[in-house]
Amino acid sequence: MIARRHALALIAPLALVLTGFFLVPVLMLLPTSFGEYIPGSGLAKGVWTLENYLRIVADDYYREVIWRTLGLGLSVTLACLLLGYPLAYLIARGPDHWRVPLILLVVFPMMLNLVVRSFGWIALLTNRGLVNNLLMQLGLIAQPLKLMFNLTGLMIGLTHIYLPFMVLMLVAAIRNVPRDVEAAAATLGSSRMHVFAAVTLPLSAPGILAGSILVFVLTISALVTPRMLGGPTYKVMATLIYDEYMQLLDWPSGSALSFALTLMAVSIIWASSRLTRRWAGMA
Amino acid sequence: MSGAGMNGAGMNGDLERGPGRAITALALGVVVFLQIPVIVVVLAAFSTTSYLTIPPQGLTLAWFGKVLTDPTYLAAIRMSLLLAVGSTLVSLVLGVAAAYALFRKALPGAEAITALLMAPLVLPAVVIGVALLQFYSLTGLRGSLAGLLLAHVVITVPYVVRSALASLSGLDGAVEEAARVLGASGPEAFRLVTLPLILPGLVAGALFSFITSLDNVPVTIFLISASQTTLPVLIFSSVEMGIDPSVAAVSTLLILATGLILLLAERRFGFHRFV
Repeated sequence: MIARRHALALIAPLALVLTGFFLVPVLMLLPTSFGEYIPGSGLAKGVWTLENYLRIVADDYYREVIWRTLGLGLSVTLACLLLGYPLAYLIARGPDHWRVPLILLVVFPMMLNLVVRSFGWIALLTNRGLVNNLLMQLGLIAQPLKLMFNLTGLMIGLTHIYLPFMVLMLVAAIRNVPRDVEAAAATLGSSRMHVFAAVTLPLSAPGILAGSILVFVLTISALVTPRMLGGPTYKVMATLIYDEYMQLLDWPSGSALSFALTLMAVSIIWASSRLTRRWAGMA
Repeated sequence: MSGAGMNGAGMNGDLERGPGRAITALALGVVVFLQIPVIVVVLAAFSTTSYLTIPPQGLTLAWFGKVLTDPTYLAAIRMSLLLAVGSTLVSLVLGVAAAYALFRKALPGAEAITALLMAPLVLPAVVIGVALLQFYSLTGLRGSLAGLLLAHVVITVPYVVRSALASLSGLDGAVEEAARVLGASGPEAFRLVTLPLILPGLVAGALFSFITSLDNVPVTIFLISASQTTLPVLIFSSVEMGIDPSVAAVSTLLILATGLILLLAERRFGFHRFV
């Protein structure tokens, strides 16, 4: 045990930094989000309005961007799950000497700079990019396919970027499934497919949930990849916030959107932790 | 459960052989998918044409020469390294101290404090970015190096705290007590006994912190001044003007550095255990 005043002295510097440079700045966005924006001069003094929040629910364009963001979150999560599970299964249950090299090959792109990875996808997907060049050389298409500045581009790029997170979560979950239970089911005459469907898959469900929540929240929060692959026109919530602040200078609107995005992320994390706790209670 | 049971071909040998051929092929396909943009960027960096063809039409090192003599790139690289090293060091000192206090359970409300320390991971980075933009505009910190450094501490410190807490929780508290009984002072016991034991975990946390700082665009882009920019922000903004092979070259340098760091961390500390 260390004395309480020593503990306070140890924790105070970080607590102060986080309060001053994270908590307070985020809370200070709140009054801004109820302010009124006057084009050209900024914030109106002494005016309080719900307009910025109402617009998010009422305005067609904002609604479209929000649905697009959520839809993108769902489809990227699903794609990561479908692509990630076989790989995670191979890492967890495959040959022992494959495990470390495979994990490193998953971690390497994850640690690589995000702008570099997104740049790689631009080089692949743009009109004169590698994919279109290849398909045209093979004579499969006459006109370049539109693979960027739309849902296709964002799906491919974001799936690639968040797949490693999903794989690592699933590896941990599958490794937690006791082999004895799988072996018992097999001994009792289950086929390999059936063992997987009846034992491995349900027992790795907490990992599936955790990985899905993580990928979903990261996807709806993403700024860099949607901006690089979606361009200035195909917007999601994060890039819309970016433009409200940097191009339109409409801070009230941008901060209301920021809180909407934060609310989505936090409530999804909260709901999933409730769900996990209930699952743990049932076991 | 590994080793001995793996090789036996008992009545459930089918299961113990692990994933079937189809799953293995699919999984290896996904591994290739993960490396594709990396390979493409490296190929583009050595290509003589400004757009990519397969096979490349000619090889050149010219783009690397262009990057390494371009003052804008060099300044951005210097700025990025300065921020990454600086914020990681600050995060290490503040984060390990805080984690140690939490681990020793000497404080009330530890759960709330931990939540505050981890909160920057939960909030969308772009929200932290705009919050600091407004805050720095009001306080006159916008464009200052100190402001940028503290912003990077906010986004990197959760990684240090998390790995420090994980390493400490795997520790037998009695070891440090023993050192105290044998006459070591509190700080001595920490430095000579606890610190060496949690070092591999801290290295992993520091590495995550370093890479997070080096990677960051969504917070940094709101806070930099016109004269100082970081490497990822520079790449991010130059891509809007079109693909330039010098971007591929500087990206290839980053790929090389990341690969080397990862291999070194794996060799020295068995990094894969910490991801």
